[in-house]
Amino acid sequence: MSAPRRERRKADPARRDPERLYVITGDPDGERAALDLVTMVVSQAEPSPTVQPEQAAILRLCRAPLSVAEISAYLSLPFSVVTSLLTELLASEQIESRAPVVRATLPDRSLLEAVMHGLQKL
Amino acid sequence: MVRVESPPTDREVRVTRALLTPLVLMAGATAAGTALVTEPARIPVVWCGAIATFVVCALTVVHNRRRHRALSAQRAHYEQRIAYLEARIAAYDTDTVRMAKELLPAAIRRLRIGNSPEEVMRDIVDADDSYRNLPKALRGLVFQILDIIDNEEAMRDSAQRAFVSVARRVQAIVHRQASELREMEDHHGRNPEVFDDLLRIDHGTALIGRLADSIAVLGGARPSRQWPKPVPLFSVLRGAMSRILEYQRVELHSIAKVAIVGTSVEPLIHACAELLDNATRYSPPQTRVHVTAVEVQTGIAIEIEDGGVSLSEEARARAENMLAQAQAGINMNDLGESPRLGMAVVGRISRMYQLQVSLRQSAYGGVRAVVIVPREMLTTGAAPGIAHGIGATSRPQSSLDMSQLQHVVPPPGKRRPKPVSTELPPSVAAGMPGYTEKPATPAVPASALEDEAPVVTEWTEGGLPQRRSRGRAPLGSHNLPRQAAQQPAVPAAGAQNGHDTGRGNGEPPPPGLWLEAFTQAVNGVPQEPKNDEDADGVWDKGDLK
Repeated sequence: MSAPRRERRKADPARRDPERLYVITGDPDGERAALDLVTMVVSQAEPSPTVQPEQAAILRLCRAPLSVAEISAYLSLPFSVVTSLLTELLASEQIESRAPVVRATLPDRSLLEAVMHGLQKL
Repeated sequence: MVRVESPPTDREVRVTRALLTPLVLMAGATAAGTALVTEPARIPVVWCGAIATFVVCALTVVHNRRRHRALSAQRAHYEQRIAYLEARIAAYDTDTVRMAKELLPAAIRRLRIGNSPEEVMRDIVDADDSYRNLPKALRGLVFQILDIIDNEEAMRDSAQRAFVSVARRVQAIVHRQASELREMEDHHGRNPEVFDDLLRIDHGTALIGRLADSIAVLGGARPSRQWPKPVPLFSVLRGAMSRILEYQRVELHSIAKVAIVGTSVEPLIHACAELLDNATRYSPPQTRVHVTAVEVQTGIAIEIEDGGVSLSEEARARAENMLAQAQAGINMNDLGESPRLGMAVVGRISRMYQLQVSLRQSAYGGVRAVVIVPREMLTTGAAPGIAHGIGATSRPQSSLDMSQLQHVVPPPGKRRPKPVSTELPPSVAAGMPGYTEKPATPAVPASALEDEAPVVTEWTEGGLPQRRSRGRAPLGSHNLPRQAAQQPAVPAAGAQNGHDTGRGNGEPPPPGLWLEAFTQAVNGVPQEPKNDEDADGVWDKGDLK
């Protein structure tokens, strides 16, 4: 334990669950769809009684478009679990995903100008 | 004393027999004397002979009678003694039988509940009138037996304790490992390769944990792990699934929406895990194992059904027998050379926690194990919505615990104005469709348009431009006064937001909206096109890039 420990979110002992994540994920060797943290997901169908509870929760949450990061946060599930759940849903066409919008690579000029003006006003 | 009195005929015969010899001898002697002496002496000799014979006979009779009397007295005495001894032997026999059938079991029972042999002797033997006068030898015997049993029990206890303590240590390591793994899984959640490997390690750890639990249960201990709060049955069954090798073959069907009280969670998980393990192990690898849980009069019936190898009547009887034996509390050595622990563990748990377990022939040909969970283990109170329990408890989205999510979701009151403020007024948006713009150019919010250049999103009081936060500042906190002022001005904007279609205005917007706006602002996406048809506008734009 001499190795430097990274700061990790400590699990709240009162919120432990009996089930482990691999039960939710299913096949550990399964392929994952190309999903990003900011990929937006919207559900195409109401949850049917046969889907897993987590998938049902995703379908309910995603009635309005929601990013994968948000789904992960709401369900308190790691990103990889969410993506494998979403992969199954995508395969059965119950959700639709859109590629994330590309982040602006250059700082926008107007903002720099605004900063300049502000500094000049000082 | 009937036998002491001989029948009279018998005595007469004996007297006659005793008289016969001296009579014949004396008669012979007299006759010989008479023949030898001369004529004149014959008469006196005959007389003398007769008298002597008579005297001898009389003496013999007297002697005989005396001897006979002494003999009878002695015989009577011996008869008495024999009777006494026989009675004693019989009493001894009854004592021994009673000791074996009543005293020892009672004493051993006392011993088992933790009394010392001395205490047991005092409480059981001395306190009871019928045992107080137990012969010393028997007393010693009883004490010796109790002492030996006590020693043996102590040895067995210490062996079991060693068992259990080793198992407990393994359990502790496994639990720590599991929670660390969970943290790692959260930490490496974005890296699928690492994550999948972690899951595999996690699975292996869970299997070790179940084995340690089994050893502890066989050692007579209760499951160590405690669950402070009720856990939904669905999560319990998934917990059972997560402890077996081939969890992917298990399918949970309709599971009754009840929660299990915290103290009963761990044993139920363990019992179900063992049954699931049996079901998956003894059925072909391509078949599925079906699990349902329905409410019955006495509680909840969990049915575990495999479509596997048919269980012959004999095998079923054997399994049930093993279950029954375990329920009766068998020894370790009954487990056999290559122990099939599953049923023994299930039996023990079911005995400890009053679970009813039965094995039946399944309609599919395999085995159907039915576990009846008594009503005392169930709770009607709502189970806490734990981590992935959102779905597990099947709660509607609106009942998400907002107090728990406050650090990510601003309260509804604050949330409402946010999409409004980032919207353009419809008129502006109409004149400036977003998808025709160069994507990298940031949007010009309405509030900024009304000001002179430079274009900024927000201003501080000191006149400095303020960038939109990239996530550090509390969400929804910027620009609040302005929003408040703006809200009445553009009341329709919120309603025009495509995401609000199908929702009443009084309802809070769905949780996604604020963050969607946030990500768009972060990504420098023009924010106006939302007032077009709906989210599809945004999607199309994303595709254009």
